[in-house]
Amino acid sequence: MKFYRNLTIKQKQIVWAWGFLALPVLFYSVIRFYPTGNAMLISFQDWNLLGSRTWAGWDNYTKLWHDPVFWKVFANTFIYLLLGTPISLVISFVIAYNLDKLRFMHGFLRMLYFLPFMTSAVAMAWVWRWFYQPVPIGLFNNVLASLGIPQIEFLRSTTNALPSVLAPAVWAGLGFQIIIFMAGLRAIPRSYYEAARIDGVSTWTVLFEITIPLLKPTIVFIVVFSSIGFLRIFDHVFNMTTQDPGGPLNATKPLVLMIYDTAFTGFDMGYAAAQTVVLFLILLLVSLIQLRILRDR
Amino acid sequence: MANVALRNLGKTFDKTTVLHDISLEVADGEFVVLVGPSGCGKSTTLRIIAGLEEATTGEVEIAGRVVNNLEPKERNIAMVFQNYAIYPHMSVRKNIGFGLRTSALSKPDRIKRLEEVAALLDMTDLLDRKPAQLSGGQRQRVAIGRAMVRDPAVFLFDEPLSNLDAQLRTQMRLEIKKLHQRVGNTIIFVTHDQVEAMTMADRIVILKDGVIQQVGTPSEVYHKPANTFVAGFIGAPSMNMMAATATSQGIRLFNGPTVALVQSDLTVGQPVTLGVRPDDLMVGTGQVLAEGQVVVQEPLGAETLIYVSVDGTEVIAKASGRTPPAVGETVRLGAATENLHLFDAATGAALR
Repeated sequence: MKFYRNLTIKQKQIVWAWGFLALPVLFYSVIRFYPTGNAMLISFQDWNLLGSRTWAGWDNYTKLWHDPVFWKVFANTFIYLLLGTPISLVISFVIAYNLDKLRFMHGFLRMLYFLPFMTSAVAMAWVWRWFYQPVPIGLFNNVLASLGIPQIEFLRSTTNALPSVLAPAVWAGLGFQIIIFMAGLRAIPRSYYEAARIDGVSTWTVLFEITIPLLKPTIVFIVVFSSIGFLRIFDHVFNMTTQDPGGPLNATKPLVLMIYDTAFTGFDMGYAAAQTVVLFLILLLVSLIQLRILRDR
Repeated sequence: MANVALRNLGKTFDKTTVLHDISLEVADGEFVVLVGPSGCGKSTTLRIIAGLEEATTGEVEIAGRVVNNLEPKERNIAMVFQNYAIYPHMSVRKNIGFGLRTSALSKPDRIKRLEEVAALLDMTDLLDRKPAQLSGGQRQRVAIGRAMVRDPAVFLFDEPLSNLDAQLRTQMRLEIKKLHQRVGNTIIFVTHDQVEAMTMADRIVILKDGVIQQVGTPSEVYHKPANTFVAGFIGAPSMNMMAATATSQGIRLFNGPTVALVQSDLTVGQPVTLGVRPDDLMVGTGQVLAEGQVVVQEPLGAETLIYVSVDGTEVIAKASGRTPPAVGETVRLGAATENLHLFDAATGAALR
């Protein structure tokens, strides 16, 4: 105790800070950092989960490079990202922008938009799966049929399946993004809009020159956050294509699902670990690029 | 250049009425200050003139045109906000130029106009800076510049100085007054600070609870306050108020002397309030009004304010800065008869 008493105020604060940080640091080391390091190690080994690990060097990575499925999956993952992020950004902004101006039933509508975010992805995926079924089961095709429009193969076409899986994933994330956008919109002082009104500029000018530039920090957050979400998409795909996960013909398979398949269907842990490392690098790279592009200049 | 007229303006939010029957004529080129405590309706009045708020009843006229149903941009006004409302992501140039977006001027004319305004406000060197790189006073000038650039008929200022520190506020006060003398536009200025009102205004409008208490020049509202509220609000420190009764000899202060102040329209026994400004209340001169012990001294340099306890209430008086009475000393305070104010005790209205 004498030792502690002789410390300066600053040193005492540091002791306390580390005291509180010790538990999370320990937790993260054991639960996060150790497995991450281990995964990187396994990516250079061959292992079937039960047998002994053998050193494989760069074999897993060269195999990945020459694997046509990997490149298909790689492309799919980026299609999820490049479609999902801008679409959800625009939709959530449009809803938040208009909801912010609405007083009537504001709270109720906000709750409705937030509801999908709280719903289990599995339940949602299965409901959407039902929507997509052919006549006489599926909702969408029944509606189309009653209007006399030919049926659409949503989940069983190699071209339609990916957007069909993406739609509920976008919908599920909207609630959260709307809430974040509304918070951003609320933070803009009213007098900015009043000054613009007195200057008599058009609604579009106000939107593009005041609202959107001032929402930039919010937009950066949502873009990075939703990009990471779409790069890691798994549960919607898995639950909507259970008979043939990632099908048809790998048309909807994202990287995470390929990792899951390789690891727990193929029991090729080394190969799965190599894929995981690649996913990690992609996530890192995309986030860094986005932060750099969208950062305040 | 334009006059502004408010006719029987009323404003109700939900069920609360915040403005009652406000009528005011502002002449072309006049500098009018609306002043009052917070919640008195001064900002609401300004926002109604600007068109940011709709009047529940009554008419707003700018330059001889009733503008009730016109959008703010059609009213030919400009407004300076309390938080300046300058856009943090735009340079000073773009901020000032924002007001010219909708103007009919050609591009070279706009640039010329912008530079004229920048020169007038001494900001030419700052045009390419972002607001974050400016001091409080400079931001204030950007906000004024943005208002000026469109050359509006009427300038509206909504407490523009309250975010500045005391020294800068004094300086900006002077700058705005000089600017008004140079450009000569009509200005309606809202503040809660009576010093700002007194120093800047051609005419002051004092509001309380959504009702105009008095309209007059700084000298009129100071020397001839219409009621006890105006008397207490204008002037610092506040006017001393003493309860009194009218008698046949004059005004008898409670537990004190009778002041020989004969007022023909008073009935004997009528309760009144006698007001005297600390500036006019001095030790041992004029009509003796009160006697008591000095409780606190406030030296201000040239003079010293003394707080004197008279029958349990404190009265503020002025004493010499060099030889003020000591704390604990008993003093007799007096004032010249012409400096006494008399108010009806029940209504607060001035009686002389």
